[in-house]
Amino acid sequence: MRLEKCWFCSSTVYPGHGIQFVRNDAKIFRFCRSKCHKNFKMKRNPRKVKWTKAYRRLHGKDMTQDATFEFERKRNRPERYDRNLTENTLKAIKTIDKVRSRREETHHKNRMKGKVAKERKEARKEHDQQLHMLIAPGAMVKDTSAAKVTVKVQHESDENRMEE
Amino acid sequence: MVQYNFKKITKVPTGKDFVDIVLSRTQRQTPTVVHKGYAINRIRQFYMRKVKFTQTNFHEKLSTIIEDFPRLDDIHPFYGDLLHVLYNKDHYKLALGQINTARNLIGKIAKDYVKLLKYGDSLYRCKALKVAALGRMCTVTKRIGPSLAYLDQIRQHMARLPSIDPNTRTILICGYPNVGKSSFINKITRADVDVQPYAFTTKSLFVGHTDYKYLRYQVIDTPGILDRPFEDRNIIEMCSITALAHLRAAVLFFLDISGSCGYTIAQQSALFHSIKSLFMNKPLIIVCNKTDLQSLAGISEDDKKLVEEMRSEALKTLIGQGGEPREGAEVLLTMSTLTEEGVIAVKNAACERLLDQRVEIKMKSKKINECLNRFHVAVPKPRDQKERPVCIPQAVLEAKAKEAAAKESKKLERDLEEENGGAGVYSASLKKHYLLADDEWKEDNMPEILDGHNVYDFVDPDILQRLEELEKEEGLLQEVGEEDEEMDVEDLTPQQQKELAEIRKKKSLLIREHRIKKSTAESRPIVPRKFDKDKRFTSERMGRQLSSLGLDPSKAIERARSKSRGRKRERSSNGDMDVDDGGSNKKMRARSLSMAESRSRSRPPTNVLVPGEGYKDSAQKIKAYKLGRNSVFKRNKDAKKGEGDRVIPNLKPKHLYSGKRSNGKTTRR
Repeated sequence: MRLEKCWFCSSTVYPGHGIQFVRNDAKIFRFCRSKCHKNFKMKRNPRKVKWTKAYRRLHGKDMTQDATFEFERKRNRPERYDRNLTENTLKAIKTIDKVRSRREETHHKNRMKGKVAKERKEARKEHDQQLHMLIAPGAMVKDTSAAKVTVKVQHESDENRMEE
Repeated sequence: MVQYNFKKITKVPTGKDFVDIVLSRTQRQTPTVVHKGYAINRIRQFYMRKVKFTQTNFHEKLSTIIEDFPRLDDIHPFYGDLLHVLYNKDHYKLALGQINTARNLIGKIAKDYVKLLKYGDSLYRCKALKVAALGRMCTVTKRIGPSLAYLDQIRQHMARLPSIDPNTRTILICGYPNVGKSSFINKITRADVDVQPYAFTTKSLFVGHTDYKYLRYQVIDTPGILDRPFEDRNIIEMCSITALAHLRAAVLFFLDISGSCGYTIAQQSALFHSIKSLFMNKPLIIVCNKTDLQSLAGISEDDKKLVEEMRSEALKTLIGQGGEPREGAEVLLTMSTLTEEGVIAVKNAACERLLDQRVEIKMKSKKINECLNRFHVAVPKPRDQKERPVCIPQAVLEAKAKEAAAKESKKLERDLEEENGGAGVYSASLKKHYLLADDEWKEDNMPEILDGHNVYDFVDPDILQRLEELEKEEGLLQEVGEEDEEMDVEDLTPQQQKELAEIRKKKSLLIREHRIKKSTAESRPIVPRKFDKDKRFTSERMGRQLSSLGLDPSKAIERARSKSRGRKRERSSNGDMDVDDGGSNKKMRARSLSMAESRSRSRPPTNVLVPGEGYKDSAQKIKAYKLGRNSVFKRNKDAKKGEGDRVIPNLKPKHLYSGKRSNGKTTRR
């Protein structure tokens, strides 16, 4: 019993799920569900379909190369059973998983690095530019002009005094 | 020599079917249309053709029947006798003879009628002649109907006869009923013969095949024979007698020494002596069966004597063969089919004897001389007189001895399975013979899947080492990458955030409205503002919106109001002189007055009663006026031109008259 990868979206196909299609040139396509199967029949390229792993890897959304991926490789020659080796392998699988998920997190964080700063800048810009939707420019100007008037008077009195 | 082609005999149709087949053929495959206006020759030819065609068809079909059925004299005497035993040669020949005569009769009929047809002078006469001819042929065929049925029965039975090759190596099993012949054949071959406690379970010959020394042997199981005079035997017994008589085979005479078949040894030996003439020139072995119930040593003295007599008879045949006198044990064997001891020995002995006999015969015949030149046994020429015997190292001899001992005591998986409860209960441990570093691991179940991964993909002898490296790497990475991003850009104040949220809400509202407008713009008629039903565009609303923006709306409202056309304004065009009004009045004067407005000027006011109109009093007039205005008002709101505008663009809109409801009934629409 093996867990396979869906050809279209690269998710795992558990036993009892999905469809396998064998082409005339003996290439086997496995699909995890009818969504992927139907997309395949429509001849869609998984590299262009946003929700697939192929797209995400290609466009750098998920990490592509890592040492943790080297651990999982399909081996064609079976090893002689060794209990200790199996125990170690089982434990290793868990740690490798942890390591991999941690690394994926850091990758994601790196990708999202400048996001907060960018968002804040954009928010500030939008606020400044679109404030006229809430408060009419006339209203805003009036306030400032009133302030200006008072200042002017003061200055004039100052200047008069100065002249005098 | 057609031995096996009994299966290929074509089906014999019944009399009626036969007639149907031939006549329908005639109708289909000859021209069907003829008129009395045709030339007489043409008419004659037409009918002659039909008659001849029918005759040839009958002839053809009857000939195939006659040829398909084997001639009893031409086939192997074993089959000839067998068929005679089963079907009676005379009846068989009679039936075929009848068919032959029918064929000839039909030929004659056709000939006669064709001759008559040559001189037929009208369509009617030719037709009558043809009808008569065909009718007579059909009657002939119907008369042989019973023969045809009989032949078909024979054909079906013949097809089911066992395919026995009379010339190859054969072993024949005979004896009283219920002695264990069918069980024996079940044991040594793959045949599945019925074994039951009643006599004459086996009613016909059965064939099985077995191998010995790379050669295939036919084993024929016969029905039991009773000790009776030859003439009294029934068909079933005759089958076995025929087989015994004609097949050159090794004969295994079965003896039931326990007597559980219902017949004593005396009876059985009497039978033996009565049919021993049939054992001439055949390697004979007497087999004592059912030794699990009664061993050979334990029978009574008289029985022992009888058995000895039989053995001596059998020996005679052996010596009569002319071979070297072997031990007498070869002629008398014991076995038990139930416990399977001695079964293989019997088979081997029979096969061996038969083989020897056949080889001898071949050597004596002339044919062998032709092949003998092809045989040549090469013997190396001795270069000196030194004796060089076979040299087997001691170790090998010991090993062989051990192996022989171990073989007997070797326990098979099959025995183990039987011990532990049989096939359904016990399942063999396939991992028993695994070669592992530690034998305790043999029955381990290794998980194949863990956490969505295939475990086999991760198995690697250096996995620990690689894991260490990975962890080291990971440790380094963790130390390095913990820098926090300093926020160069400051966040907005809460007030500003609130404002931003409102801005976004308003924007989304605008976008939504625009989308709705966009989608319905073409289908919505542009209703002029004066029929604005929802009263969305009032000056109060404008005022409210402006004040929400922070502006003082009063000036704007006044301006808007002054610009709009109202009756009051019209009337008091020379009235108040505000600065704004003056401006607006100028504009108004510049505009030309509509017809309605000019009319409204020249009309007297509504509450004044005019005598010719028919109102009782001014109150009634006002009421009438109001009623009229209400209806006009409503119509105007619906953008209708007037009373007569009753166009309904879509009388039965689909969405009101069709569709299922997700909940509820659609009995009312």
